[in-house]
Amino acid sequence: MAQPILLMQRASARGRGDDVSTIDLSEARDRDLVRRVGQGDEEAFRGLFRRYSPSAFALAKRVVRQPFLAEEIVQEAFLALWRNPDGYDQQRGSVKSWLMGMVHHRAVDVVRREESHRRRTEDAAPEAVDPVVDPAQQVVEEIGLPEERRAVRAALRDLPEEQRQVIELMYFGGLSQSKIAQKLELPLGTVKSRTLLGMRRLRAALVGMER
Amino acid sequence: MALDHALIEELLSASVLRGLDPEDEQALARARTAHGTDCQECQRIQDECAEVAGRLAFALEPAMVPPGFEDRVVERAVGRRATAIGRRGVGARGWARGLVAVAAAAALFAGGWFVRAATFGGSRPAEFLRGARVVSFQGTGGTVAIAYRPGTSGAYVFGAGLRSPQAGKTYELWRFHGDMPIPSGCFRPEPGGTVLQFVDASLAATKQLAITIESSSCPSAPTTTPILTADLTTA
Repeated sequence: MAQPILLMQRASARGRGDDVSTIDLSEARDRDLVRRVGQGDEEAFRGLFRRYSPSAFALAKRVVRQPFLAEEIVQEAFLALWRNPDGYDQQRGSVKSWLMGMVHHRAVDVVRREESHRRRTEDAAPEAVDPVVDPAQQVVEEIGLPEERRAVRAALRDLPEEQRQVIELMYFGGLSQSKIAQKLELPLGTVKSRTLLGMRRLRAALVGMER
Repeated sequence: MALDHALIEELLSASVLRGLDPEDEQALARARTAHGTDCQECQRIQDECAEVAGRLAFALEPAMVPPGFEDRVVERAVGRRATAIGRRGVGARGWARGLVAVAAAAALFAGGWFVRAATFGGSRPAEFLRGARVVSFQGTGGTVAIAYRPGTSGAYVFGAGLRSPQAGKTYELWRFHGDMPIPSGCFRPEPGGTVLQFVDASLAATKQLAITIESSSCPSAPTTTPILTADLTTA
């Protein structure tokens, strides 16, 4: 049985017509960097930081809406990586997803403590899949990430609008399902079913779920 | 069994996006426990959902990180690791004594400030330091520590090696209650780069501190990125 991470890589490559070896090498490099971080290798830590901090910073800023808080969140996520690189299990998924998960978790914790939560999440949905040409590609080291960006955006674009809206409000807005139900004036059960169906589609597109 | 997986899949799909309400989080925990924590199918669903959730971040345009951010994070990371080794090597009590010694040295370095500071907190810094908790700030731009007594109002900020801010600028200290910054005083270092500042406030509800460079009007909310931060929760 193939490992989940390889299924993910092959499925992603099939969907885009990209070279599998490019993606495998990119992920293999990440795993090697994490392994070296475990040995106290500062350069490996810098390598992961340079590769993923622009995306991590963008995610944190999007969720919390305050750059200095976003900076704190990204810093804490990377410090967690440095302190406990063994927290990454390659059998469970990719390094980049693990890292972004740490950032997202912290960002949502922050936004839920914010009194101005509702105001900041008002416009959470429109920017999420904005397919603008990426200027940062010229100045940051992110081998393989443009392909990743294209794949994720395409997967989101392919979702029915009502499913995408719920997922984006949840992920980028930090809203719970009951809050989304209130905001969209929908039954909670509808929000739950849209979440499930949207995630199934995303898993099929990005992870190669076979159903 | 299939029904169990359907429920778990529905709950996990929202959980990885941080969308579950508390009662559904509990329902997920109950379902996982009832179904068996070693279920490979449940684990596969969770891993796939988590993989998707993490990768959604890449739908966003990457953002340029602030100048010097990488060095600040690396410095803090390497420093923390050294700290952990230090704790193992000398023991917690020895480490605490070391921190106090650092703060005391900073205070001594401040020299004549003792006299002036005595009018602030009602006790001299050297007296105040006995039994105080001392936490170092992390970041660039100087060596700064704060000493405070848990349960008692008031704290001292000690600093050395701080650059004099540009004309019209000042350092400003912030206490964070949750993620709400509370202005806690402005200060400028002495010509030699030292500072000794009494903070007339309780740190009981403070989890983090930050120092920014602000206009000399001392704004009520930070307008720049912190150059130094201290985490009181790990002290």
